[in-house]
Amino acid sequence: MFRPIKGAVRRRVSRREFLQRGGALVAGLGAGGLIVGGGSTIVSTRVQAQSSDDAKWKQFSGSKLVFMSENTPPSFAIRDNLKAFYDLTGIDVEILTDDLPVVQQKVGIDLRGGSADFQLNYVQDKPIGAPFAEFYADMSKFIGDDSLPQDKDGYGAEAWFDNFLDACGYYYTRDRLVALPYDAAVACTFYRQDLFEKMTKDFEADYGYRLEFTKETTWKQVNDIAKFFKMMHEKDNSIPYGYAQHQGSFAWTTQLDIQRMLFAHGRWTDFNVDDKLGSRTPGKTNWGDPQSVLIMEKFKEQADNSHPDNLANGTLQLNTVYQAGQIAMQVQYHEFAASVEDPKTSAAAGGKTAYAPCPRGEPSWIVNGGEAVNGTNCGIGGIGINANASEDLQKAAWIFASWAVSTNNQFSVLKGLGGTPTRKSVLAIPEVGAARERPTAMPNALTFDAVYDYGILDPNFVLGPKIPKSNEYHQILASEVQKCLAGETSPEEACKAIQTQLDELNEA
Amino acid sequence: MASRDIVTYRTPASVLAGIASAVFVVLFLIWTVLPIFIMFVSSIKDLLEAFKLPAVGDWSGIGVFFDFTPTFKHYVDLFTQENFGTYFFNSVASALGSAAISVVLGSMAAYALSRAEFRGKKDLFFWIISTRMAPVVAVMVPLFAIFRYGGLVGTTPGLIIAYTTFNLPFAIWILKGFFDNVPYEIEEASMVDGSTRLQAFKAIIPLVSPGIGAFLVLCVLFAWNDFLFASIIGSGGAKTLPVATSGLVQPQNIQWGKIMAAGVVTTLPMMLLGLVIRRYLVTGLTMGAVRG
Amino acid sequence: MLQTLTTDFRTPRAAPSALNTAPSQRYYVYLLAPAILLLAAISLYPFFWLIYMSLHQVSMSPNQPDVWVGLANYAKLLSDKRYLEGWRLLVVYSVSCMILQVGLGLLLALVLNNSRWEKPLVTVFLMPMMMAPVIAGLVWFYLYNGTFGWYNWVLQSLGILSGTSILGSTSTAMIGIVVVDTWQWTPLITLIVLAGLKRVPQDQLEAHMVDGAGAVRNFFAIVLPNLYPFLLIAVLLRFMDNFRFIDAILRLTGGGPANSTKVLPVYLFEVSFTNFNLGYGAAIAFTLLVVTIVIGMVLVSAFTQPSLQQKH
Repeated sequence: MFRPIKGAVRRRVSRREFLQRGGALVAGLGAGGLIVGGGSTIVSTRVQAQSSDDAKWKQFSGSKLVFMSENTPPSFAIRDNLKAFYDLTGIDVEILTDDLPVVQQKVGIDLRGGSADFQLNYVQDKPIGAPFAEFYADMSKFIGDDSLPQDKDGYGAEAWFDNFLDACGYYYTRDRLVALPYDAAVACTFYRQDLFEKMTKDFEADYGYRLEFTKETTWKQVNDIAKFFKMMHEKDNSIPYGYAQHQGSFAWTTQLDIQRMLFAHGRWTDFNVDDKLGSRTPGKTNWGDPQSVLIMEKFKEQADNSHPDNLANGTLQLNTVYQAGQIAMQVQYHEFAASVEDPKTSAAAGGKTAYAPCPRGEPSWIVNGGEAVNGTNCGIGGIGINANASEDLQKAAWIFASWAVSTNNQFSVLKGLGGTPTRKSVLAIPEVGAARERPTAMPNALTFDAVYDYGILDPNFVLGPKIPKSNEYHQILASEVQKCLAGETSPEEACKAIQTQLDELNEA
Repeated sequence: MASRDIVTYRTPASVLAGIASAVFVVLFLIWTVLPIFIMFVSSIKDLLEAFKLPAVGDWSGIGVFFDFTPTFKHYVDLFTQENFGTYFFNSVASALGSAAISVVLGSMAAYALSRAEFRGKKDLFFWIISTRMAPVVAVMVPLFAIFRYGGLVGTTPGLIIAYTTFNLPFAIWILKGFFDNVPYEIEEASMVDGSTRLQAFKAIIPLVSPGIGAFLVLCVLFAWNDFLFASIIGSGGAKTLPVATSGLVQPQNIQWGKIMAAGVVTTLPMMLLGLVIRRYLVTGLTMGAVRG
Repeated sequence: MLQTLTTDFRTPRAAPSALNTAPSQRYYVYLLAPAILLLAAISLYPFFWLIYMSLHQVSMSPNQPDVWVGLANYAKLLSDKRYLEGWRLLVVYSVSCMILQVGLGLLLALVLNNSRWEKPLVTVFLMPMMMAPVIAGLVWFYLYNGTFGWYNWVLQSLGILSGTSILGSTSTAMIGIVVVDTWQWTPLITLIVLAGLKRVPQDQLEAHMVDGAGAVRNFFAIVLPNLYPFLLIAVLLRFMDNFRFIDAILRLTGGGPANSTKVLPVYLFEVSFTNFNLGYGAAIAFTLLVVTIVIGMVLVSAFTQPSLQQKH
């Protein structure tokens, strides 16, 4: 019994010291936390309409704002450039970035809880804007306010690319402007021109038309191309698969993947509501109708001819598969062009990839009537202001939002990290115009013909459904579509299952 | 027991069993170490090298795994571009802070629980340990609300308290066992000598200190490896290593080299600590049920 | 229960006697109070809040009051297919993990016990346990990846998989997440069993061997019965942890594909933190909590098994 005591006494000092130090550390951290976790502060100096521009920019000098954003290029680029904003305004902005699902959680808790830890939010159209629209400040009250700095290019719908302001700015009503377009991810087709040219002879022999991709190319042809490449791959595994879908774990992009194809065929939408504005009460869904069942069948057929790891490939993994040279074609968001054109990460770089709009509907697959279009969807990330914040904080936040989406800023992001502009005026910059052709210093600009000049224009553009329960909607769609692709349900069963669950969800 | 038998009687069957055992152990060793080894090697590969794979079925091409020029740039990038210095500090501060609070308050409570007899003690004790068993997701929403009310979200003190939700009951539970084994006579003797009760309590602290030290380390380990609390309560201002590592999965490009480097940075300190307290691990990880 | 724990010195405990020197109860109250109050604030209070939320449609917003819905959230559970499926998957996941881990862990412990290599090897086997589950998830996601994952390459090359990666198919994704948990936690079972093996009474074993019993019969007649309490502890601990931690699953599959790995805690995470259906989430959480606490009660009573502590 004495032995352990002796040993223990020897340790006594160090152990107690250790505990003491621990206590001191805790106390120190407590104090530090107050400084670190202080959140926002607001300092304001009154200005008038006649005040100088500089005074308007500087009226909240000494304030601090927090911007919660997705980890997309503009946020990184703007973070690197915050010094410029500070010099201009004296406002200190902290940008927090995270994965979209995490941003969704944090922003949701903040908004719904009536607090304003994050005065500025990344408002991704359907995942964040649609469920939380009512919690954002109406930005239209700041537009034209003489006491606040205003962008020379304005904020009207015509200042942005077509449909962008509708997509992320308005929810259920045009009376309230929830967000300004901050960045964009628009779907278009990436394909391996080098492989297409090499294999067109074999393809033409089997299918009777040239292996090429234009805006006339239909989803039926995509299925043909997928099937052809799969057959070739089975003969010679140095030839990649033809196609792969976005059927990995993120429900939203999974939904977008089938939405494009459905809309291409007679502009089919989930609900009979204004697609761009959305609805709080969308009513009964169109899922389960013959058009949806037919497209689900074709979608399943496409999956069967796709890269075998179809259900593991989320949007990001899909792009990796393409970069690795394992597929010859993908429908992908145009912001990914920068990574595809990067020779350090991509086997498809260096002029091998060409860009085109999303595939068009196949007239013979349209059973509901209506036209065949190049159904193109997107995620437009807006920047919005938390309505729980005080009036002055909102104004300070407006100054940042307005600066963040300015032409100059978008241009520098595009040049720097491969951003995706939302203002039309960016395209008017001669350097950007030149970058749309190879060789280019801004690879994302290679997609601009397909995206900004074609895909996002009506009648090709599809957004919805903007409904308050859009996240639940995405989950239902993702799981039922995946079940169908996995062969657990038939296309018809899948469509009916979606129908039942959506009608229950919307109490229709 | 198997090995003892093998030593005692060398029959053909036992020799065979010995060989089978050896094969099993070697396979298990490879199985255990390989992911960690690949993590480490991938962390010193450049991006394209990390993606190199032989054709399916081409076993002779397996050498491409080693075909690379080692680079430590991912580690440098983590600390120069990604703020991992701050995240590392956040991890250390929140883990140590919570371990310290848990052990200090825990030893006080454990001592009292060990010495006092009262009705409902068993229930109190069960309640204490049941708080540690609660699934984190289940209690996260109300906890978050409380923390927000206290202004603790996104701060290191907030994380420290969050980690205390599982470390404190753990410390009480484990340390009570330690105090149970310290004879009451020591305090009695001390008090007869004229020391106060508090001094008497302090007098026996050294007796349990090796154990306390080990469980302090275990508390650090539990807190360090947490993800859910850190991602929801620690967000922003108090990002820890696991959350920061997870955040390297970015929409445009997964930076595997960096992620693997961050994995090494997160894991290595804990593996070293694990070695230091190896003797106490079974006791700690079984919440004291089993003595190693 | 008092004797369950262990220190370096094994002197019998003297109960606080009725001596004059015995401190008054109030003194103990002071010592207990800080910890109890803190725990109450961070666990009891949330617990009651959870119950409150589960009976309301929760708005979270100060401007909008919560709406009392009675047991409606609980009633909804019974007809929610994803909830029921979440339980089923959680049981499948936990039981598969358990069978694999106990099988492998037991075997490994038997082989290692008393061998020359026991100490160094056990030290190596500890490594996965020290890794944060979310990092384990990331590392295995990388190993499994269909494009550049080495484990996927091995599985394809051996012909075990063809084309599809393990997380990319509804029929194999569950196996994928079970394997990761097994990789990380089998060594814990080994450690526990090794501790148990040291306590197998040697006299019984020798007496049995004198009877001429072979190794295998020895194992079933003497060793295994002595190990039962240890295995029980191991199983319960792992069960609880599988209920508690979803870090690796969130990273590996996020519950997909087609919900094939959406175990209940992952579903709960989605309901509460993606859909912000907080009242319903609280009802799910409450049922999960109750089941965990019941397992916990069994676990605590298992702790009191005297055989765990005897050392021969």
